[in-house]
Amino acid sequence: MGITVIQIGGLYALYMIGSFIQQLLHVPIPGSMIGMLLLFLLLMTGIVKEKWVARGANMLLSHLTLLFIPATVGVMDYVELFSGKGIWSVVIVIVSTMMVMVFAGFIGQWAQTREQKRVREVKGA
Amino acid sequence: MIGVSLLIWTIVVYIAMRKLYARFYFPLLVPVATSTVVIIITLSLFHLSYEQYMTGGKWLAHLLGPAVVALALPLYQHRHTLKQFLWPLLCSTFFGTIIGMGSGLLFARLFHLPEQIVRSIIPKSVTSPVAMDIAKLIAGIPTLAAVYVMIAGIFGAMFGPIIFQRLHITTALGIGSGLGAASHGIGTAKALEIGKKEAAISSVAMTLSAIFASLLCPLLLLL
Repeated sequence: MGITVIQIGGLYALYMIGSFIQQLLHVPIPGSMIGMLLLFLLLMTGIVKEKWVARGANMLLSHLTLLFIPATVGVMDYVELFSGKGIWSVVIVIVSTMMVMVFAGFIGQWAQTREQKRVREVKGA
Repeated sequence: MIGVSLLIWTIVVYIAMRKLYARFYFPLLVPVATSTVVIIITLSLFHLSYEQYMTGGKWLAHLLGPAVVALALPLYQHRHTLKQFLWPLLCSTFFGTIIGMGSGLLFARLFHLPEQIVRSIIPKSVTSPVAMDIAKLIAGIPTLAAVYVMIAGIFGAMFGPIIFQRLHITTALGIGSGLGAASHGIGTAKALEIGKKEAAISSVAMTLSAIFASLLCPLLLLL
């Protein structure tokens, strides 16, 4: 448990560094994303070992849904959106989301099948 | 004191809703949706505001930043898969982002929604911190943008798996890019339930679409 907490602390530090870089450079990418890229680089270069962050990271990731709940509860201040004309904006968001889901899903699927076929052909030859 | 009780209540509700979902596995019962509804009902029963809720809720929200950082781990663990599929991933997220923002803009204009709402709908497919920044940049309302982001996330997590099943999208790359490009972090949390590989791809898709959206959004409005 102690190790997990310390590792989460380390991830938090990377998040702070990422936010700092974001403010310094004024890039429209949030600090958390910069922190993620930073950790990825540290892992790739071997400066940070996988086991140094694995416990903390898995703890946070397995309860990612819980961490989103405070943000989703924020919808309560906008309940008027769900009545009258505003409901259309909600419908639009849902339809548009499904379009992205189908499209990105299909391209991903198609690409993977094609790539696997290619790999098989190369191996077969 | 009220903050701490609400924090504990959130965790209790979350655990209970996870159990409920594991038991029935029905899409409408996806934990992020049911927990949100139960907590909103509790708050209104006790006449508590969102502001009061956040005195406790903020402690969970604070962990969202390090959790996004933690996504580097599945990214690293699946680096070979990602390298192999880099181009398809770039394509699916690039066009996914364009379709998401374009269709949102088009439909919103067709329904003659107020301009500020239109501009808050556009960044709905990307993770909330980025979406709020984009909304600010294009003169939308950041908090409203976050609400649409949540709606996109929740409905994606609810119906994504059914859509994939109906359309026979079964590969990790298909499921991962769909969930990540359409439903950002909430989609990635859903992908994590399906598998580690799907989650890794979903987190890349989510990162890429956040980057594409920040670059393309200002351009889109010039049209």
